[in-house]
Order: sequence, then structure tokens, then C-alpha cells
Amino acid sequence: MKTRHLAGNLFTLPWILTLLFFWLFPLLYSLYLGFTDYRLLKPDWTWVGLANYAALVSDRDFLDSLLNTFIFVFGTIPVTTVVALILALLIERRFPGRTLFRSGFFMPSITSMVVIALVFTNLYSRGGYIYLLTRMIGLSPPENGFLLSDKTALLSVMAMDVWMSVGYYMLLFLAGLKAIPDELYESADVAGASPFRKFRSITLPLLKPVALFIIVINTIKSFQVFIEIFVMTKGRYDTSTAVYFIYETGLNQFRFGYASAAAYVLFLIIAAFSILQFSLLRQRRLY
Amino acid sequence: MFRVSLLPVTSDLSPDDFLSPVFALSIYYDIITSGNMLKYFMNSLVVGLAVLVGNLIFCFMAGYAISRYRFLGRRVWFYTVILVLMIPAHIIIVPMYLLIVKLGLYDTYGALILPFLVNPIGIFLVKQYIDSLPPSMEEAARIDGAGEITVLFRVVLPLCRPALAVLAVQVFLTNWNSFLFPFILTSSESVRTLPVALALYQGHQAVDWPHLMAGSSLAVIPVLLIFLLFQRHIVSGITAGAIKQ
Repeated sequence: MKTRHLAGNLFTLPWILTLLFFWLFPLLYSLYLGFTDYRLLKPDWTWVGLANYAALVSDRDFLDSLLNTFIFVFGTIPVTTVVALILALLIERRFPGRTLFRSGFFMPSITSMVVIALVFTNLYSRGGYIYLLTRMIGLSPPENGFLLSDKTALLSVMAMDVWMSVGYYMLLFLAGLKAIPDELYESADVAGASPFRKFRSITLPLLKPVALFIIVINTIKSFQVFIEIFVMTKGRYDTSTAVYFIYETGLNQFRFGYASAAAYVLFLIIAAFSILQFSLLRQRRLY
Repeated sequence: MFRVSLLPVTSDLSPDDFLSPVFALSIYYDIITSGNMLKYFMNSLVVGLAVLVGNLIFCFMAGYAISRYRFLGRRVWFYTVILVLMIPAHIIIVPMYLLIVKLGLYDTYGALILPFLVNPIGIFLVKQYIDSLPPSMEEAARIDGAGEITVLFRVVLPLCRPALAVLAVQVFLTNWNSFLFPFILTSSESVRTLPVALALYQGHQAVDWPHLMAGSSLAVIPVLLIFLLFQRHIVSGITAGAIKQ
């Protein structure tokens, strides 16, 4: 028993070390830095208390980036979830070419975000295919392309994001659909239930845990949106997001303390949402 | 939409002759021989494989220990695994950067490999799989006098092949596509990975779409191959976590 005790600790050691060193330490270090005025050319940094947080509250750039992040999160998640569900319901039916469609929808979500963002930068640009297509159907796209306009830039990034991630969540919904026992549908058939009724009374309630799981992980992911913004707009045209702000102040202007404080604000927001959603998840599982 | 989903794959065509049947293969010759793209490709490959090997060994060891042993702190470590899953990684970019600089790892392969050698999702995956295996084989081996390390690598490892295949595909794909940490933890071209190179390529000069898209194809082709070969593993890796929840 002694050796197993030892082996247990030994086998988890690499994980424990990586965790402490590269993840928990930075997290705590960041909390500390948030209360200092540490920046690159100021080695004698001092404790400034809540000054960084006080400054953030009135920092227009930060507030704008937070607002954009919220627009991104609450704009994409409902659309992604609903479209993913619809796709899963369609693809669950057996029809020729079904696997091809499934792969086609799923493929973007395992492709490099940088590559997808580059391709869409091209498609959205003046002379790109999406640009030409919107003109063809009689709409008037912004003169310099979708990404170079305050009105459409963020929306365009959001649309791409939905397109990219919808296949992944579709797969999760498909797995959830598979887990619903067939007998339920059969007995509903016997009772003469309409397809809509079956969907409302069987499919939807039983998919709730999967749906909530999807919303939770998508929320955590979406609050951290960065790569798309970096590649496509560099935060211009009113598209800066919270992580972009952290990157810009922390690693471009090297205001480490200030950026750390901003990171903690985002961390607390994400944590609050996760806890909220998890308590919802718990409740639903009771029945 | 489905047509567009095929775009990254066919994106080696320049935008103007997107619909023309002319393939400009010379661009590939060009980026392979003259540009640095091939070097970035190799960097991505080296980092990806190192991280992959580390994850296979360490996630397997930790997953096994958490599943089978009743040692001190087991529950604590298990909950930290869950906790780290919830911590948004992007918020620690500043302290991570400072830490890597202080360690003298900035702009080295070490910065791209060491922090990522073991990941909580992988541990979780292995743990769940080992939970489903009967412990009788291990018991038998112990009675025959095998030590814990022998049991781990000779008895359990072969049984875990399906789970490790899922883990391998997931880890490699994640690492291959990873951008933010390689981007903030390196600066020179000698250790630059492909996604970083592509993102910066656009920033440096007037956009040279044919070359950029050829480089993008270099980034996408391995993913496509892995996807075609291991589709089943990718799908089961993704759905395993969700259904458990």
C-alpha cells in the first residue's frame, strides 16, 4: 500500500508541477500585479492598491472592449446554439451524403483559426466573394469591404465565428440525440403524437443538459475572443475585445500591472457566468 | 455554406482566378524553396510532436493514478483538474510572458513545449477510460511480482490504446493550430510556428494573397489528412466529455 501511495504521487507529479508552475502561479501573480504599477521601463514598481481598477472604470478603451466582448458573446452564442441544434436534427435523419455534410460542417472547427480568419479577410474585402455576392443580390456593402467599417466589422467577425464553430456544437448535439432512447419515440408514436409534439416533449427536455453544457463551454471560449480580432482588424473599427485590450496594454505597451487588473476583471466576469450556468446545469439534472 | 466550408482547402488559388481552372503550382515550389514557410512548418511539427509525446506519457500516468490509487490528495488533484478546465487561459498572457522571460525560456522551443506537456482534458479522458477497465489484469500482474511501473507501462498501457489515440489526435490538432501562446512567447523566426508566421505575414507587407494562401494550405493539409484518417477518434474525443456531463 505504501508503494502505491508513493507511485500515485509520483505519477501525478509532472501534472502537479506544470499546474503549479505554469498555471496557478501566473494566475496568482497576475492578481498581485494588478495592484502594482509595474511596467517595462519602471523596474522599481510599487503597490498602488486599487488604482488600476479605479482607472479601468473610466478607461473608455477598456469599457468599449468590454462592450464589444459582450456583444460578441451574446450575439453569437444564441445563433450558434440554435443553428447547431437545427443542423444536428437535420443530419440525424438518414439520407445519402449525410456523412459528407457532417464532415463538411465540422471541418472548419478543427482548422486553424488564423487560416480561417485570413480566408475570411479576403472574402470580406472589397472584391472578395462575400462582398461581390452581397452586391449581386442588390445590397450595398460598405465601400472598403466589411472589415474596414465601424458598422459591419464586428458583425462580420461574429458571422465568421458562428460559421466556424457551429459544426463542433452540432456534433455534441448529435451525441446528445443518440443518447435519447428510441423507446420514448416509439411509445409517443403509439400515442399518436405529432412530430412537433415529440420534439417539444421528448427531444428538447432530454437535450437540455447537452445544450447547457454547450452554452457553458461556448461562453468561456467566446469571452476570450482574440485571434479573429488580431488577424482581421487589429482591434480597429470598433472591434477591440477584452483579451485584445489585455494584449494591447500588456504586451504591446508593456503596462503589466494595468493589463493584469483588466485580466482579472474579465476573469471575474467569466467566473460569475460559469457559476451561474453551472448552478442552472445542476438544477436541470435533478429531474 | 457548404461550398464555403471547402474554401480553406482550395484556398491555394488566388482570389482573382478562384473560378479559373489554372493551378499555379509554382507558388508551392516558391514557398518551399525560397520562403521560410517550410521552416515554420517544421517548427510547428517539432513542437507538436514534443507536446504530443509529453501528453501521452504524463496524461496517461496521472489519469491512471487518479483512477486507481487512493493516495493522499487524490481528490484535491482531481478537483484542480476540473478547476483548471474552467480557468480561461487567455487571461494569464501577461504573467505567463513575464514568467517565461524570467526563466530565460523566451523565444525558445522550451517556451512552446514545457507549459503544455500535460493537460487536464487529457488526464480526464484517460481517467474516464481506465475507470471503465476491470482491474483484474493489474492485480494478476502484481501477484506475479510486477512493480507499479511495470504494471503501468506493460499491462495498462496496451489496454488504453483507444483512449490514447483519441488523446494523441486531440493534442496534436490543438497544438498545431495554437496561436496565442506561441505568438506572445516567441519573437524570432527561428522558432516561429506556422500559424504565427501566417498571422504576421499579413501584417508585414502589402497582402500577397497567393503566397499567404499557399502557406495557409500548408497549415491545413496536415489537419485534413489527420481528419480523414482519424475522424472516428476526433468525434469520440469530443463527444466523450459532453455526454459525461
